[in-house]
Amino acid sequence: MTDAAFADLVLHQLKKIEVIVRAEDQRMIEDLLHSAGMGGWTVIRDVAGYGHDGFHQGRTIFNDQTGLVMFVGVAEPGPIAEVARGLARFFKSRPGVTFLSDVAVMRSEYFAAARSAP
Amino acid sequence: MKARTEGANASAYAYVQPAPGRAEIAALVALAARRVAPLWPLQSAIAVNPLSGFEEMAFDQAVARAAAIFGARDSLSIETWRNLVRAQQIDIAALKKVAIARLGGLVPAFAPIGPDVSRLDLLMARLMDLPPPDQPATAGGADPGAALIAKWCAVFFDQGQAACAMPGRDLGLYRAVVALIGHDRDYRRLAGDVGQRVVHCVPRDPLDAIAEGVEALKIPSDEIEETLAALVARLPGWAGHIRWRSEYAEPSDSAGAPAGMADLLALWILLERAGIMAPPPALWPAACDPRQLAMHFGLGQSQCASQWGAIEAIATVRQSELAHMFMVAAEQGFRDTLIPALTAASRSGATQQAPDAQLVFCIDVRSEPFRRALEAQGAFETFGYAGFFGLPIARHRHDRGRRQRLLPVLLAPQHDIAETPVPGYDVDALVRSEALHQHTRGLLGTAKHGLGSAFATAEALGLVAGGIMAARTLAPRLMQRVMQAINPDIEQAMAPALDTHALHPDFPAFTLAEKIGYASLLFRMTGMSKQTARLVVLTGHGGAAVNNPYAAALDCGACGGHPGGFNARVMAAILNDPAVREGLADEGLSLPATTLFLAAEHNTTTDQVTVFDIDQVPLSHKGDLAALRTAFDRAGQANRTQRAIALGRDADDLITGSCHWGEVRPEWGLARNAAFVVGPRWLTRARDLGGRAFLHSYDWTTDPDGTTLAMILTAPMVVAQWINCQYLFSTIDNHRYGSGDKTTQNPVGRIGVVQGNGGDLRIGLPRQSLFSDDGSPYHIPQRLLTVVHAPFDRVEAVVTAHDILSRLFGNGWVQLVAIDSATGDARRWAADAECAPNPPACQENRP
Repeated sequence: MTDAAFADLVLHQLKKIEVIVRAEDQRMIEDLLHSAGMGGWTVIRDVAGYGHDGFHQGRTIFNDQTGLVMFVGVAEPGPIAEVARGLARFFKSRPGVTFLSDVAVMRSEYFAAARSAP
Repeated sequence: MKARTEGANASAYAYVQPAPGRAEIAALVALAARRVAPLWPLQSAIAVNPLSGFEEMAFDQAVARAAAIFGARDSLSIETWRNLVRAQQIDIAALKKVAIARLGGLVPAFAPIGPDVSRLDLLMARLMDLPPPDQPATAGGADPGAALIAKWCAVFFDQGQAACAMPGRDLGLYRAVVALIGHDRDYRRLAGDVGQRVVHCVPRDPLDAIAEGVEALKIPSDEIEETLAALVARLPGWAGHIRWRSEYAEPSDSAGAPAGMADLLALWILLERAGIMAPPPALWPAACDPRQLAMHFGLGQSQCASQWGAIEAIATVRQSELAHMFMVAAEQGFRDTLIPALTAASRSGATQQAPDAQLVFCIDVRSEPFRRALEAQGAFETFGYAGFFGLPIARHRHDRGRRQRLLPVLLAPQHDIAETPVPGYDVDALVRSEALHQHTRGLLGTAKHGLGSAFATAEALGLVAGGIMAARTLAPRLMQRVMQAINPDIEQAMAPALDTHALHPDFPAFTLAEKIGYASLLFRMTGMSKQTARLVVLTGHGGAAVNNPYAAALDCGACGGHPGGFNARVMAAILNDPAVREGLADEGLSLPATTLFLAAEHNTTTDQVTVFDIDQVPLSHKGDLAALRTAFDRAGQANRTQRAIALGRDADDLITGSCHWGEVRPEWGLARNAAFVVGPRWLTRARDLGGRAFLHSYDWTTDPDGTTLAMILTAPMVVAQWINCQYLFSTIDNHRYGSGDKTTQNPVGRIGVVQGNGGDLRIGLPRQSLFSDDGSPYHIPQRLLTVVHAPFDRVEAVVTAHDILSRLFGNGWVQLVAIDSATGDARRWAADAECAPNPPACQENRP
């Protein structure tokens, strides 16, 4: 961040990954994030949108596995790249999208990797 | 899998490929895990489609692919199908229609091949007359690797049945087994020195072990997923159990013994590296000889040389395609009978008189004949609704440590409900009595299974146990009454406590807004009008069986494989709450003050109905209830008599069977299920559906934006499809997709059954739930037919907006027919996702 408006803040450069998949695949993405050593992430359930296959409705109230879910994770480049490699495999046979971007955070220790126990 | 053992020449390979990282392996493991369906433990058995991992594919492709992977049959044998035609279970005319469609229509079908012989004759001869090639029951031979892993899974996942627990379970499945397998005599015999070397050097983390194994076994990068999936499919039972633990179980179910699919796959990779190979796949039969087909009609090759190509084309139609044609004929015959009846009813419209009582039943196919029998007893209006009554709840029984999830597995519980004593019952005495009974049973169980006490227990209690066994065999109903006298039923003495959250006692289980929401939903989902009758009875259901590992499979699937009475009681309490009534009135649902909601439970084995909380019924409604209970008794007798015919027994024997410990078929369950009808009851009321249809009430006029229809199709219909597919595949290959003969099964680890004394955890349904005693299938394997009574454009909008519906209808897993509410016309959802007109589309062979 070079913007003068942020000059008095201590910011740390990290990577952000956003993943949108079918709700039925939520568990698979969680496993993948765990294995890559991600220390945490946010899940936004009941996501709707428009794509190649038309409009995707949100979740219906009697079925948690309908609709889409979105993951947002922030970490050092290493774990994010690991997640992206896993997703590349995943997207060969399952639908979904992912976005990678640079991001600045104030508390870098909050996004420390938590490698799953070997 | 190809032989890729690593051993003496392991250092010779010069294979170079980028090593997959942990996340890549995790993704591949997760994808491979989808090859099998989750498998619920016996105490909450849930029907699932064993081919759920293949639903992205067209039905017939998926069946063929799964058959190859699981080593399963892809259909009933041709001879079994023929017998169903001969028994008139399948209409021969429907089969001819399918054959004509297969040949391209009437003109090519009736094109002559020889004197008085057409192509249709040839194809019908293949279908009905020519001896089919021998077909193995299942592919492959003995699989020692699978037996070895299954043995260790049974030890690791044991839930307290074993007298001695496996050490090191807290390390996880893979690490715990790797620590011990080197001492396993079977492993040493199969793997020898290589096995010992491998077990000492493999990584102890399962993902790392898979990653290293993939490299060591030289599995090409683009084959890893398929290789792992094939390994998962070799033990679909234990793999399914792992999926259940990972995705659906309570954390307490897996506490102290963690295990994921990576653990199982790491064990498979270990065995592969140790050189324990999979058996070769079986060779499947080819089509018949064209000369044999020609000779069947007395034709020599020279007599029909110009038509020889056509004969060859028909002779080379694969057995699996012939079998598929029989199934399509069964589906079309059923559809062509049902749809005209429903379209006629749609055009006639509703003729409902004011009811004396209204009853809301579960959509379960077993409700339909009972509803019909009850409607015949008087002015009773019945509705179909998912048997959990829209309540995402978990029950905390006063006497159990674990909560029961009383909702479809598609949902997570939102409300934890405790129990409270019903005034008038000596609950303390009942609880003490039940606790004593449980304690005595536990003590006896420990003594029986204890290494040091088993023989002494048999010596000491053998005579008593023998006497009880004789009594249970010779006089099961008397024995049941004795046991009920000793252990009084506490179910009626405890009621749901809606004012107290089971985990957070300072808060209620529901807020008022939530109660109003669930109450309102019942009316919205079923189309029930606000002009309710004096009595509205919410009727859950459950089965009755003793000494039956599959007892839960007879209970309500919408209640997570439990009886539905508790949900009915919660919903009735909500609807009788004056504050809820006020809230409903504010929403425009002002119910008559004279309406009383009651809860009941239909025993689908005996057709007896238990009404709950009778003591709370005010004097003003006692007469209504008495009349209804009389109707219940009469309807129960009538339905029991009908069901007894299908079971080949007398009606009274069904009650005996519900408490006889030797009864292998207490009821037919959901066998012969074939349709899911979404519409008002008047659409189906005039027709006897023979217990083959799930009935979900629905009034399209109260659902202007299709939201309710979307909820019905994406949840109850999905559950019905799982049930339908479980019955379908358990029937076509009862060995691989079903659990085989009940009489040779043994429960293992309090989680499932195995055949004999080991092997994979069995999935699916037992033979006795699907086949008659003479071996003929009672359940006819056919795909679910969903019928929706609503405007075409609304149905189309709902289907196209939901991936899951586009997939199920588009890929041919479920057939969809919409009956236009305005015109009564029917249209079938075609594979190209367009609504095609009826009747031509209904005669079209698909997929």
